[in-house]
Amino acid sequence: MRPKTPRGFRDVLLTEAAERRVVAQRIGDVFEAWGYGFVETPVVEEYATLEAGAGSSLEGTAFRLFDVDGSLLALRPEMTVPIARVVASRLAGQPGPYRLCYVADVFREKESLRGEARQFAQAGVEFVGAAGPSADAEVVAILVEALEGAGLPSFTVGVGTVAVLRALLAGSGRDAAWQSSVMRAAHERNLVEIDRLAGDAALDPAVADALRAVPRLRGGAEAIERCRAYAAGCGCAGAVDALADMWLLLEAAGVAECVRVDFGILRSFDYYTGLIVEAYAPGLGLPLGGGGRYDGVLAAFGAPAPAAGFALSVERMQIALAQQGAAPRVRGLDAVVGGDDPAATFTAARALRLAGRRVRVASATDPAAIRAEADAAGARGAELVTSDGLIAPIDADGTPGAARAVAEPLASAPGTEGGERS
Amino acid sequence: MATGRTQASAAGAGDAPAPLRMAVPKGALFAQSVALLEAAGVPVGGLADPGRQLIVRTPGIDYIIGKPTDIPAYVAYGAADVAIAGKDVLIESALDVVEMADLFFGACRFVVAEPEDAGDAVADTYRHLGVIRVATKYPRITELHYAAKGVQIEIVKLHGNIELAPLIGLADQVVDITATGTTLRMNRLRIVEDVLPSTARFIANPVALRCDADRVTDLADRLARAAKTMGEDRT
Repeated sequence: MRPKTPRGFRDVLLTEAAERRVVAQRIGDVFEAWGYGFVETPVVEEYATLEAGAGSSLEGTAFRLFDVDGSLLALRPEMTVPIARVVASRLAGQPGPYRLCYVADVFREKESLRGEARQFAQAGVEFVGAAGPSADAEVVAILVEALEGAGLPSFTVGVGTVAVLRALLAGSGRDAAWQSSVMRAAHERNLVEIDRLAGDAALDPAVADALRAVPRLRGGAEAIERCRAYAAGCGCAGAVDALADMWLLLEAAGVAECVRVDFGILRSFDYYTGLIVEAYAPGLGLPLGGGGRYDGVLAAFGAPAPAAGFALSVERMQIALAQQGAAPRVRGLDAVVGGDDPAATFTAARALRLAGRRVRVASATDPAAIRAEADAAGARGAELVTSDGLIAPIDADGTPGAARAVAEPLASAPGTEGGERS
Repeated sequence: MATGRTQASAAGAGDAPAPLRMAVPKGALFAQSVALLEAAGVPVGGLADPGRQLIVRTPGIDYIIGKPTDIPAYVAYGAADVAIAGKDVLIESALDVVEMADLFFGACRFVVAEPEDAGDAVADTYRHLGVIRVATKYPRITELHYAAKGVQIEIVKLHGNIELAPLIGLADQVVDITATGTTLRMNRLRIVEDVLPSTARFIANPVALRCDADRVTDLADRLARAAKTMGEDRT
């Protein structure tokens, strides 16, 4: 047979894998700098656990499988619910709040022929046990710093809140079916349908105006004030307060210039209760990631606690970095070494590695062939090891130069970090 | 994951922003799309007579001429920032785009139709076999419609000449779009019920709307205003 990976799954090799490690490392460093600790959870969860946490949005997205006893399992489609489970079970009784982070693969069922992966890596944080503008601001600020820390030159973070729409609907006086129609239209980003539903003759004109206007409001502090004006007309001005207070903190933290308020943002997981956040790179058609506040999820596990977090797609970060000419520079191979005496070659290679070099042992023994191997591997240099343990640089023609002791620096050695290759 | 990777980084583009990429459907909606853009004062350059070109560049907008059913995919994956697309293909594609404005033209409706002489034959079939066979180009819309009624169906997806299916015994009923009903009548089919109406919509990629909010919303507003004026002129 000619083996292949299942649809939507793929291998990550060499350059891509090396770059991914760098991107994940840089993002993880930012998380740790904010005092977040890494956790790992199983790839597989009980389906009932995920369903209790994520609700109906799980339908159609979870990759399901059966345990031997017939119980239903699922590969985790995201990390928020598994981490909520950890907090509610493993960390129960410990004083919160908890600041947890992860870099993990998640799995989602996708229709065929949509060009979308069914496994992808996410890097994210969950801040459990804290509520209020300061907790929201912390999550947004970490997202901004993670994007900066990853080396992405150009990006925008959008923040919104579901609180305003929920308050408008709750105060609309209309039935639950109408309210859920509006919510669904908002989730589907269907402004035409929201306008149509707002045209309902029985609706308070102030609520109708707010429904039409609020999903289109975006900008800085002034957008928050315009939203407050619409909400005030409907008697729910308070729904904007948390966002307004958070905005002041983002300004104080010096990240507000990367952030835009956008009351049209809603995310596909329907467990969000307040803050919504998304990250975008210009020219990349899909968000880099997102998240928000999900104060109801922990209650599903009997340990009610406010919580907020976000996840970034590591793959999309890599695409955005490449598009913006900022792909991480991965340190390559310093040298390929070889010679007639295998023992001397191994000894020299070990000495070079101990000196901090990345060195590959050549299969060939002939200088020209060692040079060719070095070129093929993209190594900066090729070295011939003599039987007395000296090394001699091999030039581009395959001719060895003067031999010297291993302790002396490689002719091709990188002087500084600038020696990294892209 | 396809994400508009070929697009040069807008960030590194320097002073002038990269042109907005707008997909326009060829076929039935094309002429009215161009007319609407002109009425809205949007420069269309050579779009009115593109010949065989599929991309028409103007200083502010690159127009991408695409097959109507492919346009939601162009926008959802960010290959186009904005587009004009029929509501019919938007529902059928079920992709993540922002539906920003109703443009009112290209009005048609989805209907269920069956042969004029079918009489009670379909109900009879359903009583005996418990399932009816429906031919359509729009399986998702068809499935949603019958599921909402609690009727069990088998869907046969076809790519054209849907009205032929009942005549050759391929299906009991069809779900298709019609503007005037003429084609259905000419093939001796009668409309049994309406499924939903459709008009052209202005849609945007969610990220383009956020990263390029001013240009995208400005275009949406101008087109919505022009569409309203033109719609009122038609009536």
